[in-house]
Amino acid sequence: MKRRGRGMACMWYPIGFTVAANPSAAVVKINEDGTATLLTGTVETGQGSLTILAQIVAQELGIATDDVHVVSADTDSTPMDTGAIASRTTYVTGNAAKMAAEKAKLTLFEVAAPLLGVKPTQLEAQDHKIFVKGFPQRNMHIGDVANHARVVSGQPPIGSASFNPETLALDPETGQGKPFGTYVYATQIAEVDVDDETGEVEVVRIVASHDCGTAINPMLVEGQVEGGVAMGIGFALEEEMLFDANGRHINPNLTNYIMPTSLDTPDIEVDIVDSYDPTGPFGAKGVGEPTLVPTAAAIANAIYDAVGVRIMSLPATAEKVFKALQAKREQQPKQIGAGVPQNGGANGKPAVQ
Amino acid sequence: MENVTLKLNGETRSASVPPETTLLRLLRDQFNLTGAKLGCDVGDCGACTVIVDGKPVNSCLMLVGQVDGREILTIEGLATADHLHPLQKLFEHFGSLQCGFCGPGVIMSAKALLDENPDPSTQEIRDALGGNLCRCTGYTKMIEAIKGASCILRGEEVPAGKSA
Amino acid sequence: MADKPKVVDKPDVLQRPDILKPQAPAPLVTFPVEVVVPEGRQQTPAVGQRASRADGRLHGLGQTKYIDDMYFPNMLFAKIKRAGIASALIKSIDTKEAEAMPGVIAVITGRDIPCNSFGPSLKDQPVLADTRVFHAGDGVAAVAAVSEQIATEALEKIKVVYEPLTPVLDPLESLKLETPGIHAPSANIYGHKIIKKGDVEKAFAESDHIFEGSFRTQMVEHVPLEPYACIAQWDANGRVTIYSTLGRITLGRADVGRTLGIPMSRVRIVATVVGGNFGGKNEIRAEPALALLSKKTGRPVKCVYTRVEEFTSSTTRHPLIMDYKTGVTKQGKILGRKIRLVLDGGAYCSWSETTLGKACILSAGPYNIENLHAEAFVVYTNKTMTGAMRGFGAPQVCFAYESHMDEIAHTLGIDPLEIRLLNAFDEGSLSPTSQKLHSVVVKESLLRAAKLFGWNGLGDAGKGNGA
Repeated sequence: MKRRGRGMACMWYPIGFTVAANPSAAVVKINEDGTATLLTGTVETGQGSLTILAQIVAQELGIATDDVHVVSADTDSTPMDTGAIASRTTYVTGNAAKMAAEKAKLTLFEVAAPLLGVKPTQLEAQDHKIFVKGFPQRNMHIGDVANHARVVSGQPPIGSASFNPETLALDPETGQGKPFGTYVYATQIAEVDVDDETGEVEVVRIVASHDCGTAINPMLVEGQVEGGVAMGIGFALEEEMLFDANGRHINPNLTNYIMPTSLDTPDIEVDIVDSYDPTGPFGAKGVGEPTLVPTAAAIANAIYDAVGVRIMSLPATAEKVFKALQAKREQQPKQIGAGVPQNGGANGKPAVQ
Repeated sequence: MENVTLKLNGETRSASVPPETTLLRLLRDQFNLTGAKLGCDVGDCGACTVIVDGKPVNSCLMLVGQVDGREILTIEGLATADHLHPLQKLFEHFGSLQCGFCGPGVIMSAKALLDENPDPSTQEIRDALGGNLCRCTGYTKMIEAIKGASCILRGEEVPAGKSA
Repeated sequence: MADKPKVVDKPDVLQRPDILKPQAPAPLVTFPVEVVVPEGRQQTPAVGQRASRADGRLHGLGQTKYIDDMYFPNMLFAKIKRAGIASALIKSIDTKEAEAMPGVIAVITGRDIPCNSFGPSLKDQPVLADTRVFHAGDGVAAVAAVSEQIATEALEKIKVVYEPLTPVLDPLESLKLETPGIHAPSANIYGHKIIKKGDVEKAFAESDHIFEGSFRTQMVEHVPLEPYACIAQWDANGRVTIYSTLGRITLGRADVGRTLGIPMSRVRIVATVVGGNFGGKNEIRAEPALALLSKKTGRPVKCVYTRVEEFTSSTTRHPLIMDYKTGVTKQGKILGRKIRLVLDGGAYCSWSETTLGKACILSAGPYNIENLHAEAFVVYTNKTMTGAMRGFGAPQVCFAYESHMDEIAHTLGIDPLEIRLLNAFDEGSLSPTSQKLHSVVVKESLLRAAKLFGWNGLGDAGKGNGA
């Protein structure tokens, strides 16, 4: 019989390396028509970082995402980057890209200021224009300014910058210190059906509420949460690398290393928490790793809610849950005809037969 | 050597290769069609999925002798010079692919499904993708895109989901 | 080593239609060059837009070029021989028969690597194992041949004589001081971290209830859909270009320069789009070996890991053994928590120091706990090296601290949501390391998730019998 249960788990997770320097550098070049190129040493590994960086640069320059071309991942031509690791790209490389874009933008302001009859500090960039703060009618198209910068002023707008989160080393005796620039927080709630005869667990629903600071691109944040939750389901229920007594791998293949397919993952409901981090680019933090952190705990708690057994080691395979159920039944004194409810419980779970 | 002639993305092609060559290697190494990927080479992951005579297959499990005289459709044969296939259009629009490696295989499985079942339910879509492993996306946005593509192919409007 | 080029008495297993064969037919690829830019990409302001990815269109067309999709003229294929034994001394490696095989162009071993050690922190990992094998997936030799098939066959012909040693597989065994050091003379415990705050024993004495729990998690693999791939080639100025599925090219360049003993200005690392990383592609693997094979043969050399090698010979997630003891008031407020973590640190350090630090710092959970004692150890075992994997210890400790919290809630008859709201961080709370936290929204995430889900309190299941 299938019993339904729900469980929650919350978590916190840091952005960047523990104490150690993990800088990123970036270069932004503004083209003569007002579009731009970003050079970054980061590597796109699927998470969509290059799109996020383009959006950050575009925002700073007041142009559109599609106006920014990103060149990445070549040690000859792109500046250093500590890498696509520790959920740091949006925060660290993003800050570097934003600062580099700002420097290039300031060159444009210096060029535009005399043309508009103001000081550079009076200018803003938005909607493809450079205009006077508080008097947007006085403006120039960013392409015109960029072209003027090159052919008349001889000041090509190029900005280069680097960023490293501020940390404080941990005391070796007490571990006290400031290891990270910022942290993200999240809660996931899982609903599962547990077959109390076979121990099989099916994840029916996952609600994931994640903080990422400002969501630079909500669609990509959702993608990260959905993917992370799927990985979390695998960690909770299916995946395990097995070794024999001699230390040789038993299941080094996808036939016997079970990981989630489209049949194992439910629809994942993603919620992005309203949040803003002043130390991040436009308030952004990061999201890559946190997405799978609470999933296994939420599922394990849901299993307990469903059938009253607490799985203390992962993965919570059917065999493990089955054995735990058996052990529980053996411990309980037999109750024949004792007052068991005939209706479903508050959560709509089926009655005990 | 084994001589094979097949219809590949609408054109007749031939090759002369050792008999143990798989369809996957034939596509990637002979015909330079690198869309189908090598993820495991033993039929576990689906990254090599192509359509043979209308059926989605793991091309790493087919030998060239088995495809002689058959019709093969790969990811490279979906778009035309004027249009992306609706699956490709919506996979892009909904952000259904992240690293993209499983993408061609997933899209071909989806294409085979829609050719047979123009109005699949969510469960039927999940069943069709059951042989395509994806580590990045959790499948959610793929299902949304496939549902949307089925609307376009039926001449209906794509419902404005959260990804619209 | 032969001076004359190898005479191949059978043709390449697969003919590659490359630029040297102009009569090969053009590939059948058509695609529209769309001039329509998706709306999300055209909008200003850019931040907050659901902008589609530029590479998303190319992915869907199958046009994204991953490393294994790249071919160079005269390219060779490399394969690596794996030890297959978890712990052993290497007495001898005989590559003569492999080198003599038709189609095999070069074979190298660990001895050929100028500086045969690397690692993001401790440099305890060899490019190719030279005198010792530390896990069954260790590479002991590398072959470059005209086809993958020939390279794979050549591996069988390499004769390695091992003197087996007793492997240590259980991290708790490895933790014991009397267990022989796997990386002797270094101790098995190769990392230690401690966080101490307040007075945990006093807090326990003042608590209404004490809860204890011991949790374990397993070794898992990243399983990126794209296996590791790398191509190395040199120019006549002694510059090597390495295309690699590496998520950290700056570090990669430093490692290649160091292991090969050449200046960094002579090394170029290029990553294209990587088909999934999740932490497993954040350090070099066979790049120096491939560079050497390429230098020796004068030809580009490509290596793609098999799916089996992705399991046996790439980093994995640390299994953790986590012991928790928490003292609470009867209302469920945490007064003190004591934690011990033992990380199974595998055959090599890799990213273990980072994982150790993060696991220890995060292990108390996002909760205000004034009295805390968290201690973590990482030990060597003769299993696949454990390294960076999405979360660096966080998923493991979260499983422990949130299961533990749930146990406390259910035993005291408190709603799991309420007990978390009672204890969770607020804006300005101090972390376990006494860092003042900003932009804290853990309670907001709890309330939002509960609302979206329809969480209705402790419910019937508080009795734990599923009825």
